[in-house]
Amino acid sequence: MRSLLLAATVAFAQDRNPFSGDPLAVEAGRETYLGACSACHGASGQGGQGPSLISGREVNRLPDAHLFRSIKNGLPGTDMPNFNLPDDKVWQLVSFVRSLSAPAVTANLQGNPEKGRDLFFGEAGCSKCHMIAGQGGFLGPDLTNAGLNRNVHQLREAVTQPNARVDDGFHAATVITTAGQKLEGIVKNHNNYSVQLLDATGRLHLLQRSSLKSLELRSASLMPADYTKRFSKDRIEDLMTFLSRLSARPYEPEPTTRRRR
Amino acid sequence: MIPRTFLLFVLLLALPIAFAQVTFDDIRRSPNSNWLTYSGDYASQRHSPLSQINTTNVRSLVARWVFHVPEARKLEASPIVYEGVMYITNSNEIFAVDARNGRKIWHYRNAQAKGARVNRGSAIYGDRMFLVTTDAHLVALHRSTGAVLWEKEYASANDGYSSSMAPLAIQDAILVGVAGGGSGQRGFVAAMHPVTGKEIWRFWTVPAKGEPGSESWGNFPSDWGGAPTWTTGSYDPELNTVYWPTGNPWPDFYGGDRPGDNLYSDSVVALDGATGKLKWYFQFTPHDVWDWDANETPVLVNATFRGKPRKLLVQANRNGYYYILDRLTGEFLHAKPFVKRLDWATGLNDKGRPMVVKEKIPTPAGTKVCPSVRGATNWMSPSFNPATGLLYVVTLEQCDIIIASAKDPEPSTGFRGTGSEGIPTEPGQFYLRALDLLTGNIKWEHEMPGPGTMWAGTVSTAGGLVFTGDDDGNLVALDARTGKDLWHFSTGHSLYASPVTFMVDGKQYVTIAAESDVFTFALF
Repeated sequence: MRSLLLAATVAFAQDRNPFSGDPLAVEAGRETYLGACSACHGASGQGGQGPSLISGREVNRLPDAHLFRSIKNGLPGTDMPNFNLPDDKVWQLVSFVRSLSAPAVTANLQGNPEKGRDLFFGEAGCSKCHMIAGQGGFLGPDLTNAGLNRNVHQLREAVTQPNARVDDGFHAATVITTAGQKLEGIVKNHNNYSVQLLDATGRLHLLQRSSLKSLELRSASLMPADYTKRFSKDRIEDLMTFLSRLSARPYEPEPTTRRRR
Repeated sequence: MIPRTFLLFVLLLALPIAFAQVTFDDIRRSPNSNWLTYSGDYASQRHSPLSQINTTNVRSLVARWVFHVPEARKLEASPIVYEGVMYITNSNEIFAVDARNGRKIWHYRNAQAKGARVNRGSAIYGDRMFLVTTDAHLVALHRSTGAVLWEKEYASANDGYSSSMAPLAIQDAILVGVAGGGSGQRGFVAAMHPVTGKEIWRFWTVPAKGEPGSESWGNFPSDWGGAPTWTTGSYDPELNTVYWPTGNPWPDFYGGDRPGDNLYSDSVVALDGATGKLKWYFQFTPHDVWDWDANETPVLVNATFRGKPRKLLVQANRNGYYYILDRLTGEFLHAKPFVKRLDWATGLNDKGRPMVVKEKIPTPAGTKVCPSVRGATNWMSPSFNPATGLLYVVTLEQCDIIIASAKDPEPSTGFRGTGSEGIPTEPGQFYLRALDLLTGNIKWEHEMPGPGTMWAGTVSTAGGLVFTGDDDGNLVALDARTGKDLWHFSTGHSLYASPVTFMVDGKQYVTIAAESDVFTFALF
């Protein structure tokens, strides 16, 4: 009986991350991550050969214990190998991976969100291209759930270094058809056979590639890259705080981590 | 340095944008090249006027593209198609794709939704798309970009509610329903404003105490009554009447605590489109103890019945009878069994009320009943071809052992009054049956060998074809007049959705969702 109890206790202990809530474990995990994981999941966790650790549901929905086992044992039938690391190191990795997917709304930024809102819809001109709950433009990503579907690092990077990464589906482009018509807009998708282009009037052009003379994709973002020059650090923080709190419904942790009804 | 052309482009952003609007009249004209509601049309005939693909050339139908939905396991949706863009839903997510080639345009996922259920489709109206979440929120999205315009909770998941249905857009209202017949929630149909998301009206499918119909429940709490609204209803724009089918009373299999007919469970309710007020109801299975939801699609047809032009509502019901009602009054006109395995009633009286065989009321020891709990048919879409006068119904011949037991009912505990099991020596057999609209006589049938696990439906076309999913994962094209098997394609998946058809750039397509992939076909 006693050994049974002991086994149960050990099993219970293995289901919980002993470093949960420990910022030092996140840092230790980051170090291990850069060496062991970044080749496939990207240095900032954005994904590559492996899934995104920021927004990838196949990772985020796993309870801690499953994530631990996936790292320790690998995932049969996928490219995810097993990692022969001590348990502590694996748990630190779990802490780091969890920090990547923590939505911006959990970051509790301390700027002034009202001032941030004014900046967004006013001087900074963000709402010319971005929409929040139906207010604003549509050529940039919708930000109604910006606090939920981005972590705080992604939000900060998007505001301060917009050219570092342009989301798929938001590259500006100029298209010239074989009939000589010129179209400008955002390419939602394209391959060798078709192009889906949204123009500035909101019209969607579904084009066959064979009907195009040229497709010129712009690598840089349409977003101004000078916000850090134009606005003080405090005002950027106000904007960040405003964006980090945006969600169509109040944030709750992922359903899989909560008690089932 | 931003090139000058892009500067011009950015300047254009300051101009006010008028997006193309999908109007009520557009939806009234569907289906044409578009497919604008779950069933394609308000009458739910699911019959397309397209005839490019027809009985003479359907053999040349080939797969054009497959769209993979990475998180899907059981796609049940009928996509919406508007001006070359297809909107595909899975649980808590929707994709806009180029309907000619399956290329993604945008994607929205509601990561906050609780629970895990299927999703059966979206609604289109104005410049927006609407879908329900598993936890009964209605979400409005910008049709061109997928931007979130608003999200409204219309029932609480904390009270056990969930939803899986495709909303229905009528004039200036989006109609939604709920699941919950198996867990003791009170069903309703609600109309939400497409711009503000505000609730316009709500019709409770279980009357509150003191209201007409509440006497049909004894002392059973109305909040627990079930009668859910988990499929999409039909609509008559001329009568401005919504015809919504309702599900079983709760607990499903034990009726001892809810003496009476249990209105308005297992019924179709006719509601005023402007107010949600009840015009009439017809109950197919009073005091249901077999879990025979009436959520099958009600099909609206205008026809001469016994010498008199009538506005009809017909339904092939899960209980095994095909019903013809007058949709102005709710008057029962005719019914006929469309399955051979039917033993729970000896027939219906002149009001359409079943004469129940007492021995077929489930007991703790188990009672063999035909049809099975899944029913003679279920929510899989039927279709009606006006040229043939035939209603095409996916039909299951099967019996079950149903076991009923008493227990103090408590909602959201998993209690359903016990349950059922199949009979291993009597496996279910699916057919597509063509029923004569006015008599219910079976004109022809198409047998579907397979494991008896499919939930696919049909679409009818002016090309003289009826497309159906079969029990072995095939999309099949049959001659609408004779049932002759003309073409098939094996998807390699099981089928749980109904096909749709549409046209882009002069080319007709047929689409069906299958487990995790959406398959689209056109002539070679």
